[in-house]
Amino acid sequence: MQAIVDKEGIKRYLISLTVNGDTYTVVVKANTMLVNVLREELNLTGTKKGCETGDCGSCTVIMDGKPVNSCIILALEADGKEITTIEGVAQNGVLDKLQESFLNQTAVQCGYCTPGMILSAKALLTRNPNPTEHEIREAIAGNLCRCTGYVNIVKAIKEAAGQPVDEH
Amino acid sequence: MSENTIHNNDYAVIGKSVPRIDGREKVTGAAKYTGDLKFPNMLYGKILTSPHAHARILSIDTSEAEKLAGVKAVITHKDVPSLKYGISPARWDENIFCIDKVRFVGDKVAAVACIDEETCYKALKLIKVEYEVLPAVLDPLTAMDEGQPLVHEEYERNINTEIHQEFGDMENAFKNAHHIRKDRFVGQRTYQSPIEPHSAISMWQDGKLTIYSSTQSPHYFQYYIAREFGMKMGDVRILKTYVGGGFGGKLEPTGLEFAGAVLAKNTGRPVKMFYDRAEMFAHNRGRHAQYMEITSAVDKDGKILGCHTNFIMDGGAYTSLGIASAYYAGALLPLTYEFDNYKFDMFRVYTNLPACGAQRGHGAPQPKYAFECHLDEIARDLNIDPLEIRIRNARRPNTVTPNDFGINSCEIKSCLERAGAMSGWAEKKGKLPKGRGIGVATGSFVSGAGYPIYRTNLPHASAMIKVHEDGTAATLYTGAVDIGQGSDTVLSQMAAEAMGFVYEQMKIVAADTETTPHDFGAYASRQTLMSGAAVKQAGEEVKRQLLDMAASMLQRPVYDLDVKAGEIFSISDSSVSLSFSDAAREFFVRRGPLVGKGSYTPPKLGGKFKGAAVGTSPAYSFCAQVSEVQIDEETGVIDVLDVWDVHDCGMVINPGLLHGQVHGALFMGLGESIWEQVLFDDKGKIVNANLAEYRLPTALDMPKVHSGLIDSYEPAGPWGVKEVGEGSTNPTMGCFANAIYDAMGVRINSLPLTYEKVWRALKEKREKEQAQK
Amino acid sequence: MYTPDFDYYAPQTVQEVCSLLTQFGSKAKILSGGTDLMVKLKHGTIDYEVLISLKELNELKGITYQEGKGVVVGARTTHNDLVNSDILNEKYLSISEAAHHMAGNQIRNIGTIGGNIVNAVPSADLPPIFIALGAIVTILGPEGERTVPLEDFFTGPGKTVLAQNEIVTYITIPDQPTTGSNYIKFGLRRSGALAVVGVASSVTMEGNIIKDARIALGAVAPVPMRAKNAEAALIGKEYTDELLEQAGVAASQECSPISDIRGSAEYRRDMVRVFTKRSLKASITKGHSGEHLETEHGK
Repeated sequence: MQAIVDKEGIKRYLISLTVNGDTYTVVVKANTMLVNVLREELNLTGTKKGCETGDCGSCTVIMDGKPVNSCIILALEADGKEITTIEGVAQNGVLDKLQESFLNQTAVQCGYCTPGMILSAKALLTRNPNPTEHEIREAIAGNLCRCTGYVNIVKAIKEAAGQPVDEH
Repeated sequence: MSENTIHNNDYAVIGKSVPRIDGREKVTGAAKYTGDLKFPNMLYGKILTSPHAHARILSIDTSEAEKLAGVKAVITHKDVPSLKYGISPARWDENIFCIDKVRFVGDKVAAVACIDEETCYKALKLIKVEYEVLPAVLDPLTAMDEGQPLVHEEYERNINTEIHQEFGDMENAFKNAHHIRKDRFVGQRTYQSPIEPHSAISMWQDGKLTIYSSTQSPHYFQYYIAREFGMKMGDVRILKTYVGGGFGGKLEPTGLEFAGAVLAKNTGRPVKMFYDRAEMFAHNRGRHAQYMEITSAVDKDGKILGCHTNFIMDGGAYTSLGIASAYYAGALLPLTYEFDNYKFDMFRVYTNLPACGAQRGHGAPQPKYAFECHLDEIARDLNIDPLEIRIRNARRPNTVTPNDFGINSCEIKSCLERAGAMSGWAEKKGKLPKGRGIGVATGSFVSGAGYPIYRTNLPHASAMIKVHEDGTAATLYTGAVDIGQGSDTVLSQMAAEAMGFVYEQMKIVAADTETTPHDFGAYASRQTLMSGAAVKQAGEEVKRQLLDMAASMLQRPVYDLDVKAGEIFSISDSSVSLSFSDAAREFFVRRGPLVGKGSYTPPKLGGKFKGAAVGTSPAYSFCAQVSEVQIDEETGVIDVLDVWDVHDCGMVINPGLLHGQVHGALFMGLGESIWEQVLFDDKGKIVNANLAEYRLPTALDMPKVHSGLIDSYEPAGPWGVKEVGEGSTNPTMGCFANAIYDAMGVRINSLPLTYEKVWRALKEKREKEQAQK
Repeated sequence: MYTPDFDYYAPQTVQEVCSLLTQFGSKAKILSGGTDLMVKLKHGTIDYEVLISLKELNELKGITYQEGKGVVVGARTTHNDLVNSDILNEKYLSISEAAHHMAGNQIRNIGTIGGNIVNAVPSADLPPIFIALGAIVTILGPEGERTVPLEDFFTGPGKTVLAQNEIVTYITIPDQPTTGSNYIKFGLRRSGALAVVGVASSVTMEGNIIKDARIALGAVAPVPMRAKNAEAALIGKEYTDELLEQAGVAASQECSPISDIRGSAEYRRDMVRVFTKRSLKASITKGHSGEHLETEHGK
């Protein structure tokens, strides 16, 4: 990894990230977290900060196919990885079926957990297109939501999986 | 449950689960919250807080911090106004930064503005504060004792608020009672814990201040910030961005706005301030811990004759919204059950702990928990079924509470009956296998406060609607605040309905003190009724003007015309039609902008005694909850199986959003029932100020939720609406406590009902039974 | 929040890791998944000048079965790799299940078995089940490789037998005739909770007689501990529920829990009794299965 040292003696590294299909080269410090690169350097602010210690899941992104907490991953550790953020879920302006089902099922309230929640669900359905309700709940158990009690979120994921959904 | 109520069939737009107006932005990540905003030349700011619960500040040395590269400003109490502030006008007791002493771990001491976040943290470490540590008041139960240190010298015995109210004839009620019972309960300190931590960006231009904030009330922010800096309200602009949940914690201006404004002024640059998660626990003004004694007198049928509540509340170091919390704790208790004689005593005491304020259900959920447990105990004493005793005492419509709250619509009896039927109460109660239990409780809440937080004669809500010049779209301008509950959507539906327009072509500009008309904001479950009333009026004004134009275009009398879903039609002749947009466009051409405005002021409400205003409301929601739990008797682990909520919330504007409110309120109540509690060490420092050890329930912990509605119509609300968002938190803790009691046969008198408490209570019960053998 | 500055190295070989550790001494720390390390750095409870990342060391990843040796798990294997491993699902589902109940999904995708063990947190979920299955830790240092039974690896909270310049490379679960094994995590929430008590057991049956038993307890002593008195109470005896209760009582007496914000010592002790009994029963009756507290949703 290429590193440069500035006049103050602070070392910076050149890393390359593929985010939502596009490859970016960014300069980071050793202590820069992935979430900060996404938000501050790439202006992808759909990735949220809720706790910054890996407890709430609002910073969830998909890295090499797996949902991870970008708040506790060094940008350096993500060098060379493929990352999907919420901004990369809709394609050419067309919503993903999960985004549609979150709207249909009123699974969004304040919306702050929503990006992370959708990405956790997206990774689940990619791996397991027909999950049980328990598997759905497990997949999003690392994403805290304070508004919905997860009731309609679970329904939305079921709907996106093509499963029947009960009312209320 | 059916989405329909008997009232919504006549409507084109309301009564339907239209998708959220902000939904697409939120699911695509495009929605910008305050922390997502950036402005050119923007600095980052951070507050230095106290490591001690109670200490005198001897000196503050900022020189080293100022020398650090990238630090643009360091401020202390010397650099800011010394005027005390607070959201409760009766007790202004906070300063932007502490002057003489700090009063809790986390109290504000200084602040920095720097070129980036990292420099802020480095600068904070370089500020040297010399403290003389003082003995701290950490126990609210002894805070009033003689000889205790004083949190504020001007408040003797650490009493922040004292309430003594008596209604009816208590003596007589107790004298004639068949049975009298006294119980004591304790409610814990919890936190709103919105997933978005609070942030604010301040900037100045030409002596005028603009703040973007994750706020529940731009108006109160504007009012108190203008007051603090001696400015005209018109020179302070507050804008709400998308807000990631509030639940009461984002109602009052914080250090972020006050310190940020000064930092922005001193540097001449925008300054973004933010709390991290741990700081949210110190500054978010959570739910008060309450110590509650309830004594009730009942007749032989379990009818409540009189009730005396005697409470102590741990207020923490400052007043915050705590006076209202203290009054609410007692004032809302007589809502769900009818009794004429009521006495309420309360002390809210200062301690050297973070200040408490409003959290979903404001002051009421813990007393409701205590009362619902108490009522179950009475039912057991008299051998009456818990559901039955509630039905016998259930309030009827068109009644008045002992503390002079007028109740219009009230379907609590039906709520109880329906919840009983849905849950299979009759088949389950007393017949469940060992370790399984079922419980019931009720709740009620205001649909907006009858009076604003500070004294003013401003209307409570106002709205404007502008129809676009070509008539194909309309914009609603409202000061109402969407913090996730969906008010932007509901109010847009109401505007479209009132105008005879379509929801899909509605746009909304909300919660900006410069561009939108005044509204007090998102608290006390007020917006659907109050902001809705203003929106309805504005929409009807548009409709009147539009039909007047249509009458002239169609050459028909205006009384023969009506408009619905974007189509103007004749009542007498079905062949006549004209589109909303054509008429609106013509209006613009001939008469100029088609604009409607509306405002809402509640009628004069409440009695004449001290504190009579708190708890008044134009309308009250009612609900009943039943829950079923399974307990592992060896471990105390509680498995929450099902919960049924039946609500009387008047006409429903958007069933999808409404049920979402019930789910969320229940979720918070469930967390507070079993998992959530802030813990302090013996120095007054929170030991679980994070989302790992302050345990919000996860998706795996949440039970199956069944949310039902009772048809109801509230005459005081537009189209018959009332609140839902907070009412569902009110019964929840009592409901779970009663189900858990039913499962284990022994009562735990404090929240939260942790696994260990259940285990211990069962162990003690077994030991007692063995000793008796 | 803020993460203090540090220097970062991502060496290409394990030997290079050891030489960097030798060079920087106690100023350096290995970064594996970082799920624990990053949080502690942010909270300021630890501070290192140098982090040595293992990200380039793919040879430390993965789970293999080696004839005559057993199941070998690389130190960089993530918790979800354990959950999804065909080898473990077939041979020791109990390990997969133990990993499954750690933290949340996002953390399980990053956190590694090496980190979980080397951190030596008393409540860690993986050590008890690995100890119950007799796992061996392979350690590489400048002088070469050595092996230590996992049960002897821990010396105190946050402390292990690792020298400053050593690194854990593999965990091996030797082939064994055990009938069944199991781990029960008892946490205060169904996800994202640390264990208040963790109990693992493995049992070898001969007919109805308990031929051998190993019980390992987490979160109830300074280190993950074997409950040897409980084991002794079982070995050579005929399996009955009463016997398991006796073993539970023995385990609860030999552990030494503390009281903290998650539970009192008294509660933990009794939970050791209950879960030892339940874990043993699952090992005996269900084989190498996962048996946990959770009840399925929506039943």
